[in-house]
Amino acid sequence: MDDSDSSHTQRPHGAGPTTGRSARRLFLRVAMAGGLVAGYGTLGVMAGRFLYSNGQPSRRWQFVTTIDALAVGDAILYEAPNGAKLIIARQKEGETDDCFAALSSICPHLGCLVHWEPQNERFFCPCHNGIFDKGGKAISGPPAAAGQQLTRFPVKVDRGRLFVLAPVESLLELNVACRSHTTCRLAGHFRARAGEPRRAEV
Amino acid sequence: MSLRTKQLLIAILGFGFLASLIVVQWAEVTRRRIEAGVAVRKVKAPASSRACVECHRQVSPGVVDHWEGSTHALKGVGCVECHHADTGDADAFEHYGATIATIVTPKDCSRCHRREAEEFMHSHHAKGGNILASLDNFLAETVEGARAPFDPHSPTPGMTVDSVNGMASVNVGCKQCHGSKVALRAKEGNLITVDDLKPGPDGKPTVREVLDRIERDASGRPILDPSSWPNTGIGRINLDGSLGSCSACHSRHDFSPRRARQPENCGKCHLGPDHPQKEIYEESKHGVAYRDLREQMNLDGETWVLGEDYSQAPTCATCHMSANTRNGRQVTHDPGIRISWTNRPPVSLLMDTDADGNVVKTSDPEERRRLVVDTWRQKRDRMKQVCLHCHTEPYVNAFYQQYDDFVINYNEKFAKPGQQIMSALRQAGLLTPEEFDEEIEWTWFYLWHHEGRRARHGASMMAPDYAHWHGMYEVAERFYMELIPQAEELVHRAEAAGRTEAAQAVRQVIESILSRPEHQWFRKAHDRQAVVAPPAMQR
Amino acid sequence: MAASRTGWKNRLAAWWAERVPVSGVQLRELTNEPVPNHLKKWWFALGGTPAYLFLIQVFTGILLAFYYQPSPLTAYESVAYITRHAEYGWYFRSLHKWGATFMIAAVILHQMRVYFTGAYRRPRELNWVIGMCLLLCTLLLGFTGYSLVYEQLSYWGAQVAANLSEAVPLAGSVLKHLLLGGPEYNERTLARFYVIHAAVLPVTLILLLAIHIAFVRLHGVTELRFEDEEQTEPRYYNFFPDHLYTELCIGLVLMILLSALATIFPAVMGPKANPLETPEVIKPEWFFYVVFRWLKLFSLTTAIVSAGFIVAAMFLWPWIDALLIRLTGNREISTYIGVVATILLTGMTIYEALVEH
Repeated sequence: MDDSDSSHTQRPHGAGPTTGRSARRLFLRVAMAGGLVAGYGTLGVMAGRFLYSNGQPSRRWQFVTTIDALAVGDAILYEAPNGAKLIIARQKEGETDDCFAALSSICPHLGCLVHWEPQNERFFCPCHNGIFDKGGKAISGPPAAAGQQLTRFPVKVDRGRLFVLAPVESLLELNVACRSHTTCRLAGHFRARAGEPRRAEV
Repeated sequence: MSLRTKQLLIAILGFGFLASLIVVQWAEVTRRRIEAGVAVRKVKAPASSRACVECHRQVSPGVVDHWEGSTHALKGVGCVECHHADTGDADAFEHYGATIATIVTPKDCSRCHRREAEEFMHSHHAKGGNILASLDNFLAETVEGARAPFDPHSPTPGMTVDSVNGMASVNVGCKQCHGSKVALRAKEGNLITVDDLKPGPDGKPTVREVLDRIERDASGRPILDPSSWPNTGIGRINLDGSLGSCSACHSRHDFSPRRARQPENCGKCHLGPDHPQKEIYEESKHGVAYRDLREQMNLDGETWVLGEDYSQAPTCATCHMSANTRNGRQVTHDPGIRISWTNRPPVSLLMDTDADGNVVKTSDPEERRRLVVDTWRQKRDRMKQVCLHCHTEPYVNAFYQQYDDFVINYNEKFAKPGQQIMSALRQAGLLTPEEFDEEIEWTWFYLWHHEGRRARHGASMMAPDYAHWHGMYEVAERFYMELIPQAEELVHRAEAAGRTEAAQAVRQVIESILSRPEHQWFRKAHDRQAVVAPPAMQR
Repeated sequence: MAASRTGWKNRLAAWWAERVPVSGVQLRELTNEPVPNHLKKWWFALGGTPAYLFLIQVFTGILLAFYYQPSPLTAYESVAYITRHAEYGWYFRSLHKWGATFMIAAVILHQMRVYFTGAYRRPRELNWVIGMCLLLCTLLLGFTGYSLVYEQLSYWGAQVAANLSEAVPLAGSVLKHLLLGGPEYNERTLARFYVIHAAVLPVTLILLLAIHIAFVRLHGVTELRFEDEEQTEPRYYNFFPDHLYTELCIGLVLMILLSALATIFPAVMGPKANPLETPEVIKPEWFFYVVFRWLKLFSLTTAIVSAGFIVAAMFLWPWIDALLIRLTGNREISTYIGVVATILLTGMTIYEALVEH
């Protein structure tokens, strides 16, 4: 930090012929750039890891049943790991994915639980006579008037076993938890939550 | 300073920065190790409790030492936070400037752990204190001791004994698991309990005049009656009206979740001749795996989610209470919500429970539909979600088939018939109304309360020896070799005394039971034996 | 091959030059402010330090904002998530916290340097006023920052601040209502603090900083000569790259220092805010110790009004100073006052730090 060095007025570039001096100069510039990149680059990588978020994915493929345990026209109630209730129905003959439907059993109207009526091939909500076709589309009652439908979950059949991409944790669950517990902490995991307690999309 | 020196300096500092970031990464790894429970941090007492800690470190270092190892200490929850009381509380007293109470109740814990307390309140555990007038209590109060104090009959050298406390067995034997009704001593010598204080929803007594009757020691501290304290029974009936004791499982003063996760913790009560769950577990594959692998089970983890934090073996908590990946990582403090049979009564019942959590006993289907809010199937499905972390669905279903078959066989072959015989005897007036004053009453109690439960619990948790040798084998022996002969003898005696009608009624019940196909083998041998010796002399 | 590559390069350069008509040479001219030689003494480079720290605060602040949720239901939990669960979350949060401490310290040191060298004097009075605004911005950032964590200190600090603003004559209750988004601390208050902390103040600070730097460029940096310097020394040297290198070195040293502090003394979670219980010992961050002590010395209104006068005097200091010099004829008068003020401020800070109440 002393000012006795007189070379400070020289501009750093304008290097002469390739000499040991300019090689040293090049080395210094590379070392400087390397040092900066090493330091700030690592910081950037750490920031990336921070942002990547190590939370759990909120949906996972969950095993439901073996398909021979579910007769054509039948439906079963399946409780997802987060407590959401799904209706899993086998709607037509065959063993492909589109023979099965997984629908939220929560009526989009006011949240009652709908059930599958095999004889009528429809879902029925007993609260306000809401009726949904086998694809989950509302065809009668208040939900039809509002053009609503039951939330659908992807299903897949793999070697005779039926899987559903079901929510493992959800805002719905969180909202329920928040309503009764001010801390909103669930099993030590922090989960995102927005605004007032209200029904969230599953 | 020249530009080149600066460049060199920047290069050195840049790599120095990298080095410091490596230290940061090392710290991150350490943090994860602490999170995984490999290391523990040192704590500082919160300001509110610094004085308590300083004094108690000398007078009772064990308490402070335990607390320092707790998560409470890490998070700044000190002594006053839990022991805090208001001057209006029955058991409140001044202690070096702080108003505190000795007993910390679930209501106190619920100030922070509200959800846990609510779940616990709903559980059968919380109702453990309501054992007055039950069979077990009668045994301890009357058969083992005496309800009223009685005089000693000879001196105890070295000690003056004026009176014998007949409730000693209840206090030590029953209440330490089931929980006492916490009692303060009144000035006039009797006891003050929650019944006298009639606390409101906030736990404050509504009958204020009782507070003046509380007897206090020289320092002004209310005197807790030794019949009710010390006590950490799970269903303790507290002065603020709350039920239970959190420290029954989360022992003070470290309140360790680690300990509550281990089966030894439950083994304080769930063991012995009548419900040896702890021994059954130890015999099972589950217990064996746990004993071997417990070091890898992340018992110190902040969370303890089966399938995420560990999956080496299940403990009691794993199946009945803890979080798992298939139930939304929810811990429950109601261990009943995953149990599908209750094997506590003489005849096992399916756990279709009503809004209060009580088993619905009626057989009328309409009534059942109206009352049942949580079915045994739902409970079993919850348990299956635990099983499925390690077992396949067909395996689990087949296990439950084995278990159901076992329970139903016990119910139908021994429990219901035994119950029928006992009630027939009672109806016919061949037994006194008093319990445990006749041999057959002990026999029947042994059959269902000890051996029958051992068998069923053994089957429920995969312990073959308990299911068979300690269980069904002894049930069968008790039934054929004691219960039936003793009942028959009562019938003979009644006949001899000329009470033909009563004797006939009971004989019919016994006959109808023994003529069933499952008892045929015994019936034949029985009849042959009867030819050799007259029934009255059989025993 | 080589020729075609050069052609390709030239085309790209031409494309670029057409769209961004600024040449590297021009850019360098633009930034290449002649730097007076005294800045070779490193302790005179303090003005750039807060700017660099501000960059760190923006960077770490944006990172933290990805996880932070400003609502009383979630604020504490989200900070706890950052601190305990997110990878390197504790590091970035600690960096932000220590960065704030350093930034405030750097701003104060910079201001002291400007004060004691008389750099605020004619014609630079207005820049001193802007500097004062920057100081207030920084302090407010510090205050709103720790209010966001929603621990006991955050809640009660905000509560105290709101009641302080209420004591301001005339505008008090309006001020409090504005600050809290209601007559009391409520569920909308945190969102308010958050927007002030993460949007209003930083933008204000950037705008003020731009004006501040523009003024510096327009006036040039105040020149100082030291008695031991050889008179043959050139009076100026280049901003680029010479002074830039200096700043880079300072930046790296700061990063190392901050990382070390973040690792050794990481930001922790205090107890969660409890509106029903004021903690036994409550203290603001160190940079408010002075104000805190001042409040304990006088009655509320006296303290507020006197503090208002002091701040006003600080704003108007260039003119007050000129007046004093005219009245006394002594150019060193500001130094004496400065020394006394510094001693008072440090004294009160240390006093507050040492006592419990």
